[in-house]
Amino acid sequence: MDFNYTEEQEKLRKEVHEFFSSNLPSDYRPRGVGGTGTTLEQFQFWMDLQRKAGAKGYLTPGWSKASGGLGLSDMEQGIVSEETSYWGATWPGSQGIRVCGPPVHVFGTEEQKSTFLPGIAKGEVIWYQAFTEPDAGSDEANVSLRATEENDHYILNGQKTFITAPGPADYLYTLARTQDVIPKHRGISLFLIDAHSPGISYSALATLGIFTVDIFFDNVKVPKSRLLGELNRGFYHAMVTFEFERSTTGAAAGARRNLEELIEFCREEKRNGQPLLKDPAVRNLLADRAIEMELSWLQGWFAAWHFSQRDKLGSPPPEAGGLHGKVVSADRAQQLIDSLGLYGQLRRGSKYCKYEGRAANAWMSSRSTHPAGTIEINKIVLAGRGLGLPRIPAKFNKEIRAAVEGVGV
Amino acid sequence: MEFTFTEEQEMLRTSARDFLETECTEKLVREVEDGDEGYSPELWKKIADLGWLGLVYPEQYGGAGMNVIDLAVLYEEFGRTMFPSPHLSTVVLGGMTVLEAGSDAQKADILPKIADGSKIVALALTEPESAWEMKKTWDPEGVTVSATADGDNYVIDGTKLFVHDAVVADDILVVTRTKTGGNPADGITLFLVDAKSSGISVMPLITVAGDKQCEVAFNKVKVPKASIVGELNGGWAPLSKAMQVATVMLCAQMLGAGQRLLELSVDYAKTRIQFDMPIGINQYIQEHCVFLLRDVNGGRWSTYLAAWKLAEGEPCDFEVSVAKAWGSDAHEHACWCAHQVHAGVGYTVFDGVVPLYSRRGKTLQLYMGDTAYHKEKIATILEGWPAPEKPKAKPLGLWEEVPDRGWIPEWWNEFDKGT
Ligand SMILES: Cc1cc2nc3c(=O)[nH]c(=O)nc-3n(C[C@H](O)[C@H](O)[C@H](O)COP(=O)(O)OP(=O)(O)OC[C@H]3O[C@@H](n4cnc5c(N)ncnc54)[C@H](O)[C@@H]3O)c2cc1C
Ligand SMILES: Cc1cc2nc3c(=O)[nH]c(=O)nc-3n(C[C@H](O)[C@H](O)[C@H](O)COP(=O)(O)OP(=O)(O)OC[C@H]3O[C@@H](n4cnc5c(N)ncnc54)[C@H](O)[C@@H]3O)c2cc1C
Repeated sequence: MDFNYTEEQEKLRKEVHEFFSSNLPSDYRPRGVGGTGTTLEQFQFWMDLQRKAGAKGYLTPGWSKASGGLGLSDMEQGIVSEETSYWGATWPGSQGIRVCGPPVHVFGTEEQKSTFLPGIAKGEVIWYQAFTEPDAGSDEANVSLRATEENDHYILNGQKTFITAPGPADYLYTLARTQDVIPKHRGISLFLIDAHSPGISYSALATLGIFTVDIFFDNVKVPKSRLLGELNRGFYHAMVTFEFERSTTGAAAGARRNLEELIEFCREEKRNGQPLLKDPAVRNLLADRAIEMELSWLQGWFAAWHFSQRDKLGSPPPEAGGLHGKVVSADRAQQLIDSLGLYGQLRRGSKYCKYEGRAANAWMSSRSTHPAGTIEINKIVLAGRGLGLPRIPAKFNKEIRAAVEGVGV
Repeated sequence: MEFTFTEEQEMLRTSARDFLETECTEKLVREVEDGDEGYSPELWKKIADLGWLGLVYPEQYGGAGMNVIDLAVLYEEFGRTMFPSPHLSTVVLGGMTVLEAGSDAQKADILPKIADGSKIVALALTEPESAWEMKKTWDPEGVTVSATADGDNYVIDGTKLFVHDAVVADDILVVTRTKTGGNPADGITLFLVDAKSSGISVMPLITVAGDKQCEVAFNKVKVPKASIVGELNGGWAPLSKAMQVATVMLCAQMLGAGQRLLELSVDYAKTRIQFDMPIGINQYIQEHCVFLLRDVNGGRWSTYLAAWKLAEGEPCDFEVSVAKAWGSDAHEHACWCAHQVHAGVGYTVFDGVVPLYSRRGKTLQLYMGDTAYHKEKIATILEGWPAPEKPKAKPLGLWEEVPDRGWIPEWWNEFDKGT
């Protein structure tokens, strides 16, 4: 047992820390939420910093040097991830970095790798992960975006929705139906698509948190060379994506920065003649956050460590991921907004606004725990895969629906 | 960073589990609960032979020279079988305080007796008032029982309450106030007193756990000066160190108990049939089990982080309080979930094992500070956190003035949205 960082890890941390502290402007305060900002200037700022970080290899420290990474171990990646989150860096290219790049790394052809990975690693391009559809949310295997084979390409028709858009898209990482089979997840494939291919159009779908879009495909031509991995195996490939998406040491570091800022606010702000820091409800809230930060730090590093031992231990148990954070974060955001009373409702820029409107922002964005799987689906995975509890076999689903809705099978 | 146990620790865990599963049966736990002593003397003798009473003491005092992490591994197994014993009182709170602050003579006299099972110690800290004023219960502010110098003796006077294991203690480690005014921690003196001294009366209370917590009244008890452990007026520091270890051991016990409750609940959910299906197929029941898993998992590494820091001799007020604040709440919740899964049979006193865990768990949650107490400690630590570090590049004015009105980012206007 050992909870210390190694000397090399500390050295790496210092380097990354220095990168952020010397490149972020002194008037910048991480806001916990809000993504890449609302103004063009803010967006540009993040794109520029992303390129600088990319040049250092900090965006994709775990990727091979050939792909533009640093070839760092799981534990060292954890350090970079901690520092990045501590400073609240929000990369417009985050989807490519975290979600779309890794499967290209794993399943891509040499040509695909050399075409797509360097741009992601250098921080030059923006990817969207376009999986969800109106009738395929939690039930990802239900996708109906249709990809029909035609000569040396596929023709795509259909719609994606709720697709996180941290900036203007260059590429889409898309799940499409290539075969009608039962079970339905055996007929799905992954495609790497130019975001501006003729026939693709976008419309805004603003949420209480991150900005998302609807994407429409109208006879979109995608070359066969853009199929990722095996035909009809896309659903299985995509499951690997989820593993990447869920492993992180960043959450706790971000929570630490947020907590530091909140404490500073509570130190300066007064209520009933004393600092908010002395208010019993506020103390309770701060302690709750500190406990969760600590637990999340431990779980994040446990997962990173477990990954680093994958040769010996296999992949981490499903509970090593982030359920904890998902379940509690909504409560915390509610505690915070409530602790400001009527003032909690005010957004940044409003007269009388306190704490830069962060309480309202955090509260609104906490209404969504959907990205990367809802809380409920996470619990189902833990109950089934984690604890081995039984579930109704999927083959009965249609019959159940028929029985409930009184329609024929 | 390494989330591993040593081979020795794994062996200790395995042998402790094997031993306790055979020796510390549910039947034994119930018998002890009904008895007057709160432990089984035969079992106490056996664990002395296994070396569990001297585990963390140096070899010169009859110990095995192991550390707090090893002890936590053992305590996890204690929790798993609800092992009823005065181990925490004797080995940790009594013995480790003596090890920390006692004179060479005291150590040489007392520790080998603890290690071989011939001496049981109880800690008399909490008092009727301090226990009621919940912020002071575990702090020096709450200590009012006085010890007054009288020649070569001291006279201890006052009442201690919720003293674990006093009914069977040979010695009582009494926390007294020998000075008032100024810093409350300055003026605490520890006495290791023969429990049979005249003027001491012990009365067990009736608790939900059926454990032996007592009222211990000191009616002008005369004790020799030589029974002081550590410095006059300087008892709080060594005691609080032992209390930190004890706090982490309670967390380890809750962890072990929680893990067992999780296993019992998942098994029951898989095998109990209602409505022609195993109840565990229902998501309500699955949620209880998943929360149990979360409760237990959250406590595992927070407990061992605190134990590791203690073993390394690093300051760990924050880590200990995090472990206990989370641990107590999570354990209460874990018990609740187990009750829900077991429904009727989780409510029966003599058949069901869940209520046994639940009742005994309450003591673990409360002892050495409950969640509210430790959260307050955490908040006090947070007050001392430094201001967040400011980055150094020249200000850009990009964030200051921007109102948060828009839901749609500006880049969207320039984005080619296609046909
Ligand atoms: C801000 C935001 C950003 C997003 N970004 C992306 C993105 O970048 N790319 C992308 O592809 N998608 C994205 N999504 C979509 C997201 O992945 C889906 O919202 C999510 O998978 C849930 O799907 P749904 O909204 O259709 O809900 P549904 O699947 O319709 O679920 C509705 C409710 O039913 C529950 N439920 C469903 N099935 C079960 C079951 N078997 N048992 C119990 N409960 C069940 C769900 O938990 C939920 O509470 C984003 C969503 C949001 C809100
Ligand atoms: C103090 C006490 C007094 C009682 N008095 C009486 C009395 O006077 N007369 C009498 O006849 N009975 C009495 N009972 C029995 C009581 O009615 C049963 O305990 C109750 O009906 C639950 O049944 P069970 O304990 O067998 O739990 P189970 O039915 O086995 O349930 C176990 C768990 O599974 C859950 N569960 C079961 N089915 C589902 C489902 N389909 N979906 C989701 N969750 C499910 C339950 O909610 C519970 O959490 C008493 C019980 C107690 C504890």
